[in-house]
Amino acid sequence: SGSDGGPPVPAAPGRAQVFAAVVDTFLEKLVTAGSYQRFANCYRCFYRLQPEMTRSIYDQFVSQLQTSIKEEIQDVKDEGNLEVLFNSLDKMVEEAKDHKEPAWRPSGIPEEDVRSAMVPYLLKHRSYLQKVLKEKEEENRRVAESVLAGRDRIAELQQLIQARKLAWQ
Amino acid sequence: MSVNPMAYEAQFFGFTPQTCMLRVYIAFQDYLFEMMLVVETVILKKLDGFPGCKISPCQIRKSTEKFLLFMKEHFDKLFSKMEEVLLQLVLNIPENVLLPEDKVHEQYPYTKEQFQALQDEIQQLQQQYRAEASAGQALQAELEEQKAVQAELEKILQWFDGLDNICREHGTSNFKESFAFLTQNSKKLQDVLKDVEEKSKKIKKHDQLL
Repeated sequence: SGSDGGPPVPAAPGRAQVFAAVVDTFLEKLVTAGSYQRFANCYRCFYRLQPEMTRSIYDQFVSQLQTSIKEEIQDVKDEGNLEVLFNSLDKMVEEAKDHKEPAWRPSGIPEEDVRSAMVPYLLKHRSYLQKVLKEKEEENRRVAESVLAGRDRIAELQQLIQARKLAWQ
Repeated sequence: MSVNPMAYEAQFFGFTPQTCMLRVYIAFQDYLFEMMLVVETVILKKLDGFPGCKISPCQIRKSTEKFLLFMKEHFDKLFSKMEEVLLQLVLNIPENVLLPEDKVHEQYPYTKEQFQALQDEIQQLQQQYRAEASAGQALQAELEEQKAVQAELEKILQWFDGLDNICREHGTSNFKESFAFLTQNSKKLQDVLKDVEEKSKKIKKHDQLL
């Protein structure tokens, strides 16, 4: 909030950020552990013989290892489209923050789970049937009225014909 | 120890988080070993340039193993920590989060019975509709018949009207009456004829008796 005039509170780091940070930390600590001192200590005889070369080899080793590891992480991110998925998941988490109870999870029984998926279609179908049924009933009512009127008309015609017949006798 | 299969996460990500972590672990480890091998190879090559030195390849191998063992220990520990954080914070779906594709399950939590009731209702509506449809057909059929009958009857009526018109045209407006008069007269005539016949019969009988 800006009401107190203070700087805005930074949003919690997203998954993509945490992922990058965690990998960086891993590398950092690994390189720290595999320090030059440790390396030179292990390769003591060579170090004594060629200290500069030892340093150079170590530097290359560290550099190459970091590069390979970072490339692998990038491959994993690219293959899995992780950047997009992480952001999408962050958004879902944010949207669900007021939803305190545990959400639905697949029961593992497809027949049970597919039920809810079918319900919206069934509801649509039901409301469609109700509509066309009503329309059909309405239509039949009108046609029935016409039929009754038709019967009356026929009776009327028959009476008229009868009257003419009599008049000619 | 119960292992969380992280199936919901797999549904979202398209892979199981643990499998992803394993793949990464193996890849990292391979790079580490590869780099160490390169280091060793380089060092051995450099040594070749020093024919007088007393360092044997065996010593170098021992050095490599020593360093590698050390690295591997730290590597495993650090990776384990990284994996934990990733599985808990990054590659997980919190319990209260529902994937959008699963929204229907929260919107329509139908039990088996409710679902069956809905299906039954739909079936009933279908039957009712079929009944109404065939009733409608029957009504339409009668309507068609009525049309034909009405047309016939109206034709007859028109014929009568035609006769009336003819009478009027020929000035015999009482044609009807005279026709009726005629029919009545012919009836009377027939009655009279009958009478006469009977009377003549009687007379003949009398004559015979006389």
